Amino acid sequence: MNKVTLGLFLAAMSLVGMAQAADQPAHAGHSAPTVPQDREKMWKATLAKPSLAVSVAFDEKGRLWRASAQDGHVWVNHSDDGGKAWSQPVKANAEAESIAADGENRPKIVARNGVVYISYTQALEKPMTGHIRFSRSLDGGKTFSPPITVNDNAEIISHRFDALGVNERGQVFLAWLDKRDLSAAARKGEKYRGVGVYYAVSDDGGASFQPNLKAAEHSCECCRVAMSLDTDGTPVIFWRHIYGKNERDHAMLRLDGKSSPIRVSYDRWEVDACPHHGGALSIAPDGVYHFVWFDNAPERHGLFYASSADQGKTFSAPKSFGNDEAQAGHPYVLSLGKAVHVVWKEFDGQNSVIRGMSSSDGGKSWPLPRQIAATAGASDHPLLVADGTQPYLSWNTAKEGFRLIGVAP
Amino acid sequence: MMLRRICLSLALLLALAPPALAQEIRPFVSGSLKEITAARQGKPFILSMWSLSCTHCREELSLLSRMVKKYPNLDLVLIATDTPEESDAISATLRKSGLGGAQAWVFADPFADRLRFEIDRKWHGELPRTYLYDSAHVVTAISGKLDRQRLEQWMHKHFGRS
Repeated sequence: MNKVTLGLFLAAMSLVGMAQAADQPAHAGHSAPTVPQDREKMWKATLAKPSLAVSVAFDEKGRLWRASAQDGHVWVNHSDDGGKAWSQPVKANAEAESIAADGENRPKIVARNGVVYISYTQALEKPMTGHIRFSRSLDGGKTFSPPITVNDNAEIISHRFDALGVNERGQVFLAWLDKRDLSAAARKGEKYRGVGVYYAVSDDGGASFQPNLKAAEHSCECCRVAMSLDTDGTPVIFWRHIYGKNERDHAMLRLDGKSSPIRVSYDRWEVDACPHHGGALSIAPDGVYHFVWFDNAPERHGLFYASSADQGKTFSAPKSFGNDEAQAGHPYVLSLGKAVHVVWKEFDGQNSVIRGMSSSDGGKSWPLPRQIAATAGASDHPLLVADGTQPYLSWNTAKEGFRLIGVAP
Repeated sequence: MMLRRICLSLALLLALAPPALAQEIRPFVSGSLKEITAARQGKPFILSMWSLSCTHCREELSLLSRMVKKYPNLDLVLIATDTPEESDAISATLRKSGLGGAQAWVFADPFADRLRFEIDRKWHGELPRTYLYDSAHVVTAISGKLDRQRLEQWMHKHFGRS
């Protein structure tokens, strides 16, 4: 580099620096209209990173459907041999957009009665902002409808961490974390704890959604929302809430339009942090709710399982599981008949391992956990799916790729 | 032309004014923690884990920056759990937070579970996460934003001027 170029380079660098400095006061404000360039660049770099986050679902015929994110598209394909051979992936969104697919974010998929439903969080240009998007396929996954934005608040704020459910009547439910109330409070110069939980219902199979409804105020900001359908087709959601001054404990709510949120955990983790670590919920055919979650309070920390046989009026005493000395985390639960299966991730010093335990009596007794899979590299969170009779672990790892592994004991 | 030359010289001057050199963002890999602690035998320091994508971490960085100003001899080590590709954004954020002088690292292994395990088996990735090392390297681990008073007490004990 000669002197002139060096000079120009340095000048350009310092101008960038000044531009950034000028951005700073705006950023400190509540309704920051601009974003420092480096954060925006960072945000885009994060989105461009290859993602291991996938979702899978079986349809009634035993076909396995998968949604993954790459290069600005949600790709959908299917397998008829338990995940060995896959169909050619199809784009759910024809036009590229930023798909949130790291940590707690992943595209969701449900295949039911011949329709394939997709939801995902579209990341917007500002860091930590997004829209909830939905698309469906009525022709067996060959083509998908142009995605629609489901949140009816259009601010460039966080509407993220979508959870998707479809019941037998073909009603489609989406729930997510939403910063519209925080944004409104900030405009008035007021404070707002955490974020809101919102949801939307489609009564026409996903062609359109009813106006958004508020499920709860003051959720923790960055943990996934879990959803499962009750035996009457009503969705129930489960999320990390903020109780009292700052206790980040878990709550559930039946989205029947009349129930109120119910506190599920009393671990009392008081922390101003981003745990990026949400729970899971599965509702059994007998109507028992099965919950798993992670907390890290000084007294009560680790992974927990609890159930409720009366829609959240009472809960079983939480059962602690997982090796806290091995980073036990990211638990998932699936009920299948009277059986309840739980998986989670640990690190044994060399490998990331998925450990699991299965109860055959509706979660009353639990034989000792066992190891189900391992990898010596980066990996997605573990998920569970069932083909109607058999439970499987769904796990995507950098070294081995996607694996579907039976978890029946 | 003259104006342009002046602008250019001005810009050059600004660019050369300290801190002119971008902060080195070191790759944090397996073994890096040993390197960090070995270099500080018998000395207290603060190890702070943060990330660009963590809102609470911004407030944490500004608190740490106030500590650095108040206790100039504070030995602060910052580890971002992002990726080496984000080094520019990391150094820009630290510079703006007034932490351009701290030793800075970034996770440089996609197998982040292994790095976390090496740092602390009981850390589940929540951020910010802070480790207060006393001179015997007895460690206090704290998840979430630090309590200012508690930190002040610790700072006063270990870095306070008599």
